[in-house]
Amino acid sequence: MAIRGELYEWELTGNELTLADIPPAGQEFSIFTSGYGNSLNQTALVSEDSFVVINRIACTPGVSPNNYEVVGGILTKWTPNMFVQIVIDTTGYYRDPQNLYQSGISGMASPYPMTVNRIKYYDLFPPIYVLPDQTWDVRFTIYNDLLKAYENGLFTNVDDKIVLAQVFVDYTLYNGTDAILARKLLSLGVPVTIDSVQWLRQLILQNKGLDTETFDFYLKAVREIAKKAKEQRKLQGLATISDYDPS
Amino acid sequence: MAVRRQAFEWRNVMPIGETVILNNHPVLVPNQVHTVPLRAGIPYDIFVGNVGNTLDVPGELKAFQYIVLDAVAVSPPTLQAQIYVNTTRYFQNPDRTVSQGISGNIVPYPNGKGGIINYDYQEGLQPALYISPLQVWGVEVTPLEDIPEYTGADVTDANIAFCYVKYLLIDGVDALVAKALIDAGWELSVHNIRKYKEIVAKNHIFAGTSKLPDTISERKRRV
Repeated sequence: MAIRGELYEWELTGNELTLADIPPAGQEFSIFTSGYGNSLNQTALVSEDSFVVINRIACTPGVSPNNYEVVGGILTKWTPNMFVQIVIDTTGYYRDPQNLYQSGISGMASPYPMTVNRIKYYDLFPPIYVLPDQTWDVRFTIYNDLLKAYENGLFTNVDDKIVLAQVFVDYTLYNGTDAILARKLLSLGVPVTIDSVQWLRQLILQNKGLDTETFDFYLKAVREIAKKAKEQRKLQGLATISDYDPS
Repeated sequence: MAVRRQAFEWRNVMPIGETVILNNHPVLVPNQVHTVPLRAGIPYDIFVGNVGNTLDVPGELKAFQYIVLDAVAVSPPTLQAQIYVNTTRYFQNPDRTVSQGISGNIVPYPNGKGGIINYDYQEGLQPALYISPLQVWGVEVTPLEDIPEYTGADVTDANIAFCYVKYLLIDGVDALVAKALIDAGWELSVHNIRKYKEIVAKNHIFAGTSKLPDTISERKRRV
C-alpha cells in the first residue's frame, strides 16, 4: 500500500460538549492540534520517506447565524459560517487580492457535505505538494459566535447528535519507493499523480531507466490517458463543451 | 507554492450598526445582524467599496505576479458583476458600451442557490482573463433593482448578497514561465505552465547528453 488515497474528517459535535470545547469565533484553529473536535495529538509532519498531495478541502456551508433551531432550550441545528486555510510549515496557501494572509476558502465555495443546492465552485487545482520533512496543517475559522449566542440565552444546552462544524481533507499519500519516484517526477517538472508515479515505476521495471526518451513516453501516455478520460466523460454524460472541442 | 488557486468572497452581511469590515469577515451573532442595503444602478467595488468585507487597497499585482481570472459568481439573481483591469471593464454590450456585467441568473453563488445552477459558465470565463504585473484589478457588483436591508432574525442565506471570484495566482519563477507562454501565444493554464517546464527540463537534459563539439572534446588535456 505505497500509494494511498487518504482523507481526514474533522467534526465538532454536541456529544459531551462543554463551553471549553467551543472554539471562539473569529480565531483560527488547527483541525489537527487545537484540541477542538476530533483532533490529533501532533501536527501532520510528512516523514522523510513520504510525499503528500492535497487534492481537496471543504467545510460546512452556510453563512447566516439565524439558521439555527432550538427545541425546548436545546440547540439542534447550527450554521458555523466557516473558512479553512492550508498552512505548509509557516506559509499560508490562501492570500487575499492584496497579498495578505486570509482565513481561506469558505464552505459556500467548497461545501462539505455537498448537496444538490450546494454544489462546489472551488477546485484545488493544481493540487498542493507537501514534501518530506514539511509540516502541513488545516486551520478553520468560525465566524458565527456560538459562545455569544449561549451568553445571550439563545439556548441552554446542545443536542448530543448535533454537528456544529465539519472539515474534510482529501489527500494522496505516497510512501516508500513511491515517494522517491514522486520526488524524481517533481524534480523533472512532471506532475505528481498516481498515474505518473505508476508509469515511472513501470518504466524502471522495464529497465528503461529515466533517459531522455522518458518525456516522449510520458507525453504520449498522458495524451492517451486524457483521450480515454474524455471518451469516458462523454459516455457518462459528464462531458462539457471543451470535450467536444476538436482542438 | 508558486501557482495557487485563490478565491475571494464578498458578502453584505454585517453586525447591526456596521457597514464595513476591513481585511476580514465579521463575527456574527444570531439575531444581531443585518444586510447592508444596495441601491439599484450603483456599482459597489467588492475590494474597496466600503460595504461588507473589503480590503485596504484594490488588487494590484506585483512585478513578479500574473493572475488568470477564471470565474466570478454572484447572488441574488438581480445582482450583476463586472470585472475591471486598470480602467477597462470586461463585459460590454453589443454597441460597445460598458454593461453592468454578468448576473446571478447565469453564475449563481453558491452554485445551486434557489434552484439556479451554473450551467453556461461551468468552466468559468472562456477564455480566461489574464492580469499582468503592476495592473490594478477588481470586481464591481451592481444591483438591477434595490436590494433591501434585512435585520435581525430576517437575515437568511437566501437574502444575503454574495460575490465570489476565483483566480489562479502565478508568482515567482512561474511568472517568468507565464510571460514566456504569453509571448509565445500559448494559453496561460496550469497544464501549459507544467508543459513548458517539462520542455525546459527536457532541453537541459538533451544539452547535457549531446556530443561536445570537436574543438572541445579533442582538445588537449591540461593539468
